Amino acid sequence: MLEEIKSLKKVPEEEYYVPGHRTCAGCGPALQYRLVAKAAGPNTIFVGPTGCMYVANTSYGCGPWSVPWLHAQVTNGGAVASGIEAAYKAMIRKHKTDAKFPNIIVMAGDGASADIGLQALSAAFYRGHNILFVTYDNESYANTGIQTTPTTPYGAWTTFTPAGPVVPEGKKLMPKDLPKMMAHGHPALKYLATASLAYPLDLMNKVRKGLNAEGPAFLYVHAPCPKGWSFPSDKTLEIGKLAVETGMFQLYELQDGQYKLTYRPKEQKPIEEYIRLQGRFSHLQPEHIQKLQEFANQRLKEVGLEATVPSVT
Amino acid sequence: MGVKKRISGCVATANAVKLADVEVICSFPIRPYTGIMSELARMVADGELDAEFVHGEGEHGQLSVVYGASAAGARAFTGSAGVGVTYAMELYSPISGERLPLQMAIADRTLDPPGDFGSEHTDALCLRDQGWIQGWAATPQEALDLTLLYYRIGEDPRVLLPQYACQDGYFVSHIFGDVEIPDVAQVKEFLPPYKNHHVLDPRNPQIMGAQMEPAMGPGMQYQRYQAVESARQVIEEAHDEFGRIFGRKYAPWVEEYMTDDAEIAIFMQGGHSETCKTVVKRLRNLGEKVGMVRLRTFRPFPTQHVREALAKFKAVGVVDNSANFGISGGAGVLLTEARTALYGLGDKVKTLGFVAGLGGEMITHEEFHKMFGKLKEVAKTGKTGKENFWLPFEL
Amino acid sequence: MSVQVKDVPFAGTVPSPKTENEGMITGSWRTRRPILDKDKCTDCRMCWISCPDSSINLTNGSVSFNLKYCKGCGICNEICPVGAISLVPELDFEE
Repeated sequence: MLEEIKSLKKVPEEEYYVPGHRTCAGCGPALQYRLVAKAAGPNTIFVGPTGCMYVANTSYGCGPWSVPWLHAQVTNGGAVASGIEAAYKAMIRKHKTDAKFPNIIVMAGDGASADIGLQALSAAFYRGHNILFVTYDNESYANTGIQTTPTTPYGAWTTFTPAGPVVPEGKKLMPKDLPKMMAHGHPALKYLATASLAYPLDLMNKVRKGLNAEGPAFLYVHAPCPKGWSFPSDKTLEIGKLAVETGMFQLYELQDGQYKLTYRPKEQKPIEEYIRLQGRFSHLQPEHIQKLQEFANQRLKEVGLEATVPSVT
Repeated sequence: MGVKKRISGCVATANAVKLADVEVICSFPIRPYTGIMSELARMVADGELDAEFVHGEGEHGQLSVVYGASAAGARAFTGSAGVGVTYAMELYSPISGERLPLQMAIADRTLDPPGDFGSEHTDALCLRDQGWIQGWAATPQEALDLTLLYYRIGEDPRVLLPQYACQDGYFVSHIFGDVEIPDVAQVKEFLPPYKNHHVLDPRNPQIMGAQMEPAMGPGMQYQRYQAVESARQVIEEAHDEFGRIFGRKYAPWVEEYMTDDAEIAIFMQGGHSETCKTVVKRLRNLGEKVGMVRLRTFRPFPTQHVREALAKFKAVGVVDNSANFGISGGAGVLLTEARTALYGLGDKVKTLGFVAGLGGEMITHEEFHKMFGKLKEVAKTGKTGKENFWLPFEL
Repeated sequence: MSVQVKDVPFAGTVPSPKTENEGMITGSWRTRRPILDKDKCTDCRMCWISCPDSSINLTNGSVSFNLKYCKGCGICNEICPVGAISLVPELDFEE
């Protein structure tokens, strides 16, 4: 059992995601990777589907993990992890290894989770493999140069959803809600949570709860991307915090069928405070901003939080 | 010694997988290979085989699951047919590139169209150059034997490559044959436990499958080329050992049937060769100098052995049980491979291509008779004219 | 220039690094260097836990910067609750 981390002083000092990777300066996914690895500890195997956390971490035939890591395709993180888990189960049972059953963690981007990798993810959870699947949501296919995924928010610019006279808002669709998709309809699910890199202790403890659960656990991490969202590299945590405080992202967990809010913003901030720091929203007109506010308010209500910022101004 | 049973190709393969004592099996249904998996599921349910039986979410998922299992150090097995085989296309190169010696059984089925349940080698031939060991069984007994042979060849430290153990859908997978099922002690002697030096183990952490810079690309591909090439010797050794332990001696590369003093011959692979043999025998009884050469190992392709086997004939008819549109020679993959093997012999051996048995149709005695008739004419006149024939329309 | 076959890792598999990945040294990316005012620092570890590049060292509870890898993103400066970290242009330093 991995113990709860009560304070920053109790966070393990050992690094398992070590210095030396080509992620952008201020990379949100890199920071959450480090925190996940720290929380998981040395008896861990990472599965890395193609995405930023594969390309930027491993180019040039090396990588920054002091624990085992295996590449998976962008399509199949859940299935590859299933195979590792099944192998360890069988090898331990048949006395073909004297290794301890490891933490098996998939570190997948939002596209590799909610889009092209969804089938493999869902199947692994349906089958009940004892794995932790982490989605680092930087809200785009980022390593290919910022293209929309199903989790890119309404109104965001990407190179596949540029804003122009005919499509003034850029992205027209509302994003998929992957944690809710995972929460409902996978009876073998043992633990599910959302987290943000702006709340590191909360994130690490959710990793540990997920790993302690005997069965599939899902962790959905909001991971701001300076390049894709177009903000300065030192604002990563501020933007992470603002996402939670404006209601664009909610922190909760689901265990034994019960939702539990793990962070309640004292007062909801208007959505403008979140989007004005990000170049990807700079083209939005008031009517688009209003739609985003409605979206945030709706998401808050779904998890039982009161929306205090009116969506109609 | 083992026991003799009358079983299908599917059940024969399942028995071999059980004897190989695999740890992870990943299934998804598609005819006709499904019978292998349902038999394995039964074995697991009845406690005959201790393995994780994972229900894949599709063939892509199947190959992904066994990729992970093999990387973790387990002996892993999967299989498919037809469009299932091509659906998993993304995974074949990563698996061989990662040098994971897992095994996939393929019981052939047509692609769409026609999408019927019939057998065609087209599915498995789409995968032919991905760095896997590949060959076809012609009988249920050979299906069982190929599984054991291929695990041993693939897991050899000099090779470390995955394997496609192919059998014709229905004509092998669903035909009952007398099969000798070896006993466990024999298999243990033949097939040592799977040990790979690069596996996912936190006690010896390694980074597997990092992205490489372009300058590493040529070397990485050359390593795989070398692995496939070094499999040649291992294939021969394994067949020798197989014969010694199990008493069934297969020619590792090409099986020759009544080729002594033959002037014309059919060159083919897979289960239709059993039909061809009966035609050869009948023609021999009539005094015709005919024979058959059956390819047993398709990848790595035994260029030299095929050349030696075919060079003695005046005319060779290559039977392709696959649909290859726009291919050089206008027939199929085997024709181009055979012609490449014969390259340099000039016009000495005439080669004709026969595309036959598509859609899962039988290649009938009558069709083989027609092929031999055509070959006889070419051998006699020394002239070919049209060299490719789509049966039954063009011959 | 292509790397020789013997120098290409088998199957693209390499040993995991233990404490740092010297295959990707990123300190040269930096345009601004973090400087710590030790008098102001309260050892709260907020900068340490917030570094995406694992480039803030903890030694007996005190922080220092690993300039071999620090990309100069500035998160530490932004997150520090007491203003103990400043960012100085790299060109102001001789090395």
